[in-house]
Amino acid sequence: MTEDILSEIKKDYVLSKLRDGERIDGRKFDEFRKLEIKTGIISKAEGSAYVKLGNTQVVVGVKMQPGEPFPDVPDRGVIIVNAELVPLASPTFEPGPPDENSIELARVIDRGIRESEAVDLSKLCIEVGKKVWLTFIDIHALDDDGNLLDASAIASICALMNTIVPASRFGLGEDFCLPVNDIPVSVTSLIIGNKFLVDPTRDEMSVGERTITITVDRNDNIVAIQKSGDYLLSESLLEEIMDTSIRVSKKIREEILRQCSKACQ
Amino acid sequence: MRKIVLPGDLISNNPKAAGYGTYVEGEKVYAKILGLLDETENSVKVIPLKGKYVPSIGDTVIGIVKEVTANGWNLDINSPYQAFLPLTENPEAKPGKKSNEILDLGDAVIAKVVNIDPRMRVTLTMKDKICRAIRFGRIVAINPARIPRVIGKKGSMIKLLKSELDVQIVAGQNGLIWLNGDRRKISIAEEAIYLIEEEAHTEGLTDRVAEFIRRRKECLDQKGS
Amino acid sequence: MPRPERFIIDGKRLDGRAPDQLRPIKIEVDYLKRADGSCYLEMGKNRVVAAVYGPREAHPRHIQDPTKAVIRYRYNMASFSVEERKRPGPDRRSIEISKVSKEAFEAVIMKELFPRSAIDIFVEVLQADAGSRTACINAASVALVDAGIPMKGILTSVAVAKVDGVLVLDPMKEEDNYGEADMPIAFLMRGGKIDSIALLQMDGRMTREEIREAIKLAKKGAMEIYQMQREAIMKKFVQEGEE
Repeated sequence: MTEDILSEIKKDYVLSKLRDGERIDGRKFDEFRKLEIKTGIISKAEGSAYVKLGNTQVVVGVKMQPGEPFPDVPDRGVIIVNAELVPLASPTFEPGPPDENSIELARVIDRGIRESEAVDLSKLCIEVGKKVWLTFIDIHALDDDGNLLDASAIASICALMNTIVPASRFGLGEDFCLPVNDIPVSVTSLIIGNKFLVDPTRDEMSVGERTITITVDRNDNIVAIQKSGDYLLSESLLEEIMDTSIRVSKKIREEILRQCSKACQ
Repeated sequence: MRKIVLPGDLISNNPKAAGYGTYVEGEKVYAKILGLLDETENSVKVIPLKGKYVPSIGDTVIGIVKEVTANGWNLDINSPYQAFLPLTENPEAKPGKKSNEILDLGDAVIAKVVNIDPRMRVTLTMKDKICRAIRFGRIVAINPARIPRVIGKKGSMIKLLKSELDVQIVAGQNGLIWLNGDRRKISIAEEAIYLIEEEAHTEGLTDRVAEFIRRRKECLDQKGS
Repeated sequence: MPRPERFIIDGKRLDGRAPDQLRPIKIEVDYLKRADGSCYLEMGKNRVVAAVYGPREAHPRHIQDPTKAVIRYRYNMASFSVEERKRPGPDRRSIEISKVSKEAFEAVIMKELFPRSAIDIFVEVLQADAGSRTACINAASVALVDAGIPMKGILTSVAVAKVDGVLVLDPMKEEDNYGEADMPIAFLMRGGKIDSIALLQMDGRMTREEIREAIKLAKKGAMEIYQMQREAIMKKFVQEGEE
C-alpha cells in the first residue's frame, strides 16, 4: 500500500532530523504552524469559522435551537460537539459513523469549552426545566495534515465567538450574541521518546500516533488533559509539556483575538 | 516452595543472567509473566503458571487436521498459531495418493515443529521416530504450562507413569498428551495427569503421584481383572 | 441527587473518608471459566468483571498485524448498571474510555511476541459508581496476569478529584458529578514502585501545581491498590499449591 511505504520513509526522515535537534519543516519544537482564521463563512449557520493551520483545514458550524435541558441541570443550556472526519480529508478516513478518533476529538474539544465555561450556559435558559438553547458545534475536517484537534478547537471557539442566538426565528424575543467568556486553547504535542513536538504535521505523526493535549484557559489554568496513544509518559516530561503548553497557548489566544472578528461587540 | 513472581517484579541486577520469562531494561532483569522464580547461580528464569502454547522449533506437538489442501494439511495445535504439515513431510505420502486419503479432517497426529518464520508461520514434520498418525489410544488436554511437570526433571515423572502403568505416553509441548494401552490403566494415567496439572508447583509431587497410582492399581486388582 | 452544600466537613468527606483514603476494594482472580484470564473487582460501589481472551487468532484476517498482536479493549456498561437504564451498546463515552484504556495496555503488553494474533480485553461494568474506568483497568490488569500474557509490569489506576478546592483520592459519585476537576490516571508498576504514566485524562480547572499534587496523591492510592492486586493474584496461586 502506497500510504504505508511513504509513511515508513517519512518516519525515518523525521527521526533523522530530530537527532540533529530539528523538525522537517524547520519549526522550533514549541512552534505552531501559520494560522489563518476566517469567520462567518457559512451564512446558514448561527456561527461559523474556517481554520487553516499549516496545511490542515477544518470548518466548524454552530447551529442553535431550543430543546430540553438535562434533568440534573434544568436551568442551563446544552452544548453538543460532534466531529466528522470525512473521507475527503484524508486517504485514511473511511465513510461511516464516527470512529473512536473522531469521538475522542469531539469530546476533548467539548471538555475544553465546557470546563473553561467559555459559553455562559446560564444565559441560555428559556424556561427552567422545560426549554433551553441547544448549541450544536459541528466540526467538519477538510484536509488532515496533522493536528486536526487543535485546528478544530480554534475553529470551534472562533465560531462560538461570532454566533448569534436566533431567538427571533423561534418567537423568543430578539436575537442576541452568544455570551463567550473565555478562550480555551488546546495544545497538542507529539511524543517521541523523551522529546515532544508541538502542533505535529501528518508526516511527523508517521513516527507514531502518540500525543498529549493540554487545554488552557485565559488564566493559565489547565481545563483538560488527554493522553492519546500507546506510550508511557514520565512525570518529568509531563511537567515540561504542561509548562510549554501554557506558554504557547498565550500566543495562540493572541492570534485568535487578532484574527477572529466577533459578530457583536 | 518456589517464589511466585508477577510481571514487572525485579528479579536480578545482572542482565547476563536473564532467561525465559524475563526481560531486560536499564541493566535490570524483570519478570514478564506470572510464574515461579527459578534462580541458579548465573541464570534467572520464570516458569510460567499459565499461558497459551507458543511453538518453538524442535517441539513435539499433537495436532488435529483442520484443513486439507493439495500439498499438505493445516493443523490446529492448540495455539494462537496454526501449523502446516507439508505432504512431503509425511512418511505415509505416496505418489498417486491424495492428501485426504492419508489424513482427513479431524485426524490427529504426533509431529515435530521443524520451522517457524518471523510471521510465526509454523511448519511441521512427521519424519521422526516419535511421530505418527494417531489411530488408537486417547488424547488428553491440559494447560500447556504444566507439560514440563508431566515430563519431570530428566523425564522422571513421565517415566514413572509409563513404568507403573505399562502404557505408551507421548506428551506434546502444546498441552496434548497421547496415551495408549490397557483401557483401565489409561484411565488411571489420565487421572494422574490431571493431578499433576493441579498440583504442578508443589513439593513432593512425584511421591504423591506414585502413591496415587499405587492406590488406584490396588482398587483395580481388588475388583478383579 | 442535589448538589451538596459542602463536600468536606471537619476534614471528612461525605462518606466519612479522609481526602487521601480509598474506597473499599475487593478482588477475585480467575472468576470466569471460559476466559483465558479473568477478574471480578469491587471498588466502592463499582462492580466490574474483566475477561481476557488470547493471544488467539485474529479475525477477520485484515485486522492482523504481521509484526505484533492486535490489542482490543471493550469497556461496556450494563443497562442496569446506572440509576436511569442505559441503552445497551457502546455510546460515545464508552468508546472513548475503551480507546484510552486500550492504549494504556498497548504500552505495556509485549505485543511483538505474538505476531498476527489478537489479545482481547473485555470489561463489563455491572454496577457503576464514579471511577468505573479506573476499576476496569485494575480488573483488566489482573485478568491479563491471570491469562499469562507477558507484560512490562502491572497497570494500576485511580482517580483524583477536586472538591471545595481540596484534592480527594478515588472520588465517589457526588464528588465526581459536582467536583471542580476530575483526573483519572493509570501507572505502570514495576520493580515494586511507580514507573510511568500509561493513562492520563483531566477535565475541570486545575493549576499546574494542583496537577502535580494530584499526581502525588494518585501515586499514594496506586501503591495501595497495587498491593491488593498482588495479594489477590498470589492468594489464588498459593492456594493451589497448598492443596
